[in-house]
Amino acid sequence: MSLMKEFTKGFWELLPPFRLVLGLCPTLAVTTSAENGLGMGLATAFVLACSNMLISALRKIIPSKVRIAAFIVVVATFVVVVELTMQAYFYALYVKLGIFIPLIVVNCIPLGRAEAFASSNGVLASGADGLGIGLGFAISLFSLGTIREIFGAGTFWGVHVMWSGYEPMAFLLKAPGAFVCLGLMLAAINLISARQAKRKLEAARLAAAQA
Amino acid sequence: MKEIAKLVVVLALICGISGFVLAYVKDLTAEPIEYAKIKNVKEPAVRSVLSGYDNDPIKDRISFPVGNDKYGRPVSLVVFPAKKAGKTFAVAFESSGVGYKGPIGVMVGVDVDSNKLTGISVISHSETPGLGARILEPGFTEPFRGQDLSKDLTKDNIQALSGATLSTNGVVAAVNNARTMLAQHRDKMVN
Repeated sequence: MSLMKEFTKGFWELLPPFRLVLGLCPTLAVTTSAENGLGMGLATAFVLACSNMLISALRKIIPSKVRIAAFIVVVATFVVVVELTMQAYFYALYVKLGIFIPLIVVNCIPLGRAEAFASSNGVLASGADGLGIGLGFAISLFSLGTIREIFGAGTFWGVHVMWSGYEPMAFLLKAPGAFVCLGLMLAAINLISARQAKRKLEAARLAAAQA
Repeated sequence: MKEIAKLVVVLALICGISGFVLAYVKDLTAEPIEYAKIKNVKEPAVRSVLSGYDNDPIKDRISFPVGNDKYGRPVSLVVFPAKKAGKTFAVAFESSGVGYKGPIGVMVGVDVDSNKLTGISVISHSETPGLGARILEPGFTEPFRGQDLSKDLTKDNIQALSGATLSTNGVVAAVNNARTMLAQHRDKMVN
């Protein structure tokens, strides 16, 4: 598979959290606004790309019996780097995301990609995979955050966008609202891919009939 | 046996390198983090008690040791100077006094030439909501502005809160503590 394919599969085929259904904890907790979602997504993307590359580079050295421990140490190192950097230069975002930044360590996405991809593929391919999946995660969280913020608070990026008489659905900003939103988005994505699969099948049948 | 040795060595090496990297990053970010913390937590208070400066009081902060706390650990005082054309004309620093339920932390701003208060802002307290917590209101803190710090302040100088004598006393005590601090360390604060 080419590098480009490894990179782009994170945007649709393996789009987290909808396709992988991993990393749901931060997804539900931090997507109360577009800004929080994007911040969390980019932090995860950075960790994912770096840890994937390093783990791939070390894959021949790490004995398989201690690989999970080794993966966790690598992921945790990058997470702490992100946490300290964020605290130093994006303090307001750091305060808002709070405990969910250190929790990227136990978020299953970095560990899952390390185990499923980086431990058996080259450095460049792993980097492309990590970056793609990470950016896909960032896009998902950003969209989810945007929807919840617009309908739940009537704002986007902190700026009012709804008409003045709009009554915000505060429910959407609570945890149950997050589940409902996530479910609806997942349903929409499944609908689109079901249609795509059907169209592909029909095209194949047509081609077969012509032949 | 050889396999176990390999597991141990590899894992130890990875952990060791990770430790070094983190220590390095921690060292690198220590200063910006301290600045960010002070900027976000203390700046609103500093801004409300000082005015007319053309520097960044947070960046120009001075800190020096002022004795030990009850566990014998050194305590340092952080002073935020307000400068105009490079000359310090007022300082702000944190002081505290005992209120009704516990210590009240107050950011005190003093004009160093005239020894008058440029303002106070309550940073932390645990007073009763609706009674003692009224020390946060501008109606209470405003009369402190312009008070002379050449002598100890009493609650007759300001608008004492009825029903919250101890909270009022706590803030006045904090201001008087600040007066003592300033008298003791003036040369270190103003330079």
